[in-house]
Amino acid sequence: MTGYTKLIGQTPVSQGFSGNPMGRRTVLAAGCSLALAFALPAAAAEPSVSQATDFVDRTGHELMTAVNGPGTTKDKGAALQTIIDRAVDVNTIGRFCLGRFWRQATPQQQKDYIDLFHRVLVQNITGKVGEYEGVSLVVNRAAPREDGIAVTTTVTRPNSAPNRVDWLVSNESGSLRIIDVIAEGTSLRLTQRNDYTAYLGRNNNDVQALIDALKKQASGA
Amino acid sequence: MPVNVLSSRRRFGSLRRWGLCASGAVIVALAGCATPPPASQPDALADFRETNDPLEPTNRVFYAVNNGIDTVLLRPAAVAYRYVVPETIRSHTHNVLTNLGMPVQLIDDMFAAKPRRAGDTLMRLLINSTIGVAGVFDVATDWGWPDHESDAGMTLALWGISEGPYLFLPILGPSNPRDATGFGVDVAISPSTWVGQGTVVNAINYSRLGLGALDARSQVLDSLDKIKEQALDPYATIRSLYRQHRQSTIDDAQADEQATVPAWFPATPIPPNGAAKP
Repeated sequence: MTGYTKLIGQTPVSQGFSGNPMGRRTVLAAGCSLALAFALPAAAAEPSVSQATDFVDRTGHELMTAVNGPGTTKDKGAALQTIIDRAVDVNTIGRFCLGRFWRQATPQQQKDYIDLFHRVLVQNITGKVGEYEGVSLVVNRAAPREDGIAVTTTVTRPNSAPNRVDWLVSNESGSLRIIDVIAEGTSLRLTQRNDYTAYLGRNNNDVQALIDALKKQASGA
Repeated sequence: MPVNVLSSRRRFGSLRRWGLCASGAVIVALAGCATPPPASQPDALADFRETNDPLEPTNRVFYAVNNGIDTVLLRPAAVAYRYVVPETIRSHTHNVLTNLGMPVQLIDDMFAAKPRRAGDTLMRLLINSTIGVAGVFDVATDWGWPDHESDAGMTLALWGISEGPYLFLPILGPSNPRDATGFGVDVAISPSTWVGQGTVVNAINYSRLGLGALDARSQVLDSLDKIKEQALDPYATIRSLYRQHRQSTIDDAQADEQATVPAWFPATPIPPNGAAKP
């Protein structure tokens, strides 16, 4: 990756590199083909380890402030939703959770599914706010993985043993965002995908059945 | 009663003795097999293999039975336990139960060829049984000997034995042939299986069984409620969580290579163990 970054850095195109995501994409695409041509490892726009660590540290503390804050459960929920919308790559997670069924779904189903997935996710996270108070988070270390950078943190709640929580962050959406949370070795998105796959398997692999079930969940609370 | 799904510790205590009988019964009862999808559906077939749950129909029956027992008996008992008994006493009870499990954990650590982990366990047993007043206070953690997860199933995993197909056992909950075997081994090597007989010993063992069940169930009260409320297929979600959690504790144990020899001693590289990923 470093070799390929260097490669882009040397091209005059990099002058127009600042800020414009479309421009950046184009440059990256050009960079990728160059990288391939030179048989360099063609990693996509991977964030650096320090960027990822800063991001998780910042987002983690925003989350803690929202959760530990004085407001009502409703206020906390609203604050959390703002953070989720900005820091969590819900589309990528949603697509991952649907797995191979994403390709089978019609464009309308894909859209419905992502909308519902978003609502249910936010609902599930904000629904937990009430039980968490006095939570603290410490960032330990970060290591690159094949699909992003995993930042390891220790989350401590009063009267319980500290938990290891890994945050997988990626640039896939164009900006740095969370694509998975791994609590004590259990991945949120993998668990969700296994849940959906099992549900679909018991409902004739019909994506519409899953969408209907999610609709029910979304309207349930 | 899939109590060990999310719990960070194996807390069954003397529930194990029941479990040994139960695992014997389940092997007899394992009759219903899932039919694999035809080869004309490669994606579905790949899912089936990845899920690795050929006994799913039988497992789901046991899941339903355990769930029923849990709903009418264990969960209400755990809720009451948490409501009636103050936090401090519950946490001390938990410490005592954990400490009672240390002799077995020590043997498991030794057979896993993890001398530093075994050392931690031994120090925990010695310190908490004496200064910690029969395990009531967890002094050892503060003194630099923290607890870790360890059982015979993990030891078998570190020996390179793969988990095999998923099993949902009566009473015990999520498991697999390797971990069920490990469970039986832990019961067999537990001092309480062999030490003494008579009214007092029985009373102590049954108290430990009951308290162990309450403690274990109350630890996962919120997590399990959330799973049942939020999952579309709680059985599959628990299966996934159990496997991931198990794999991660085994990986942690495997990666735990604290130095046991002086710095001047030539280091020999340890070959990676062949414990299979699910």
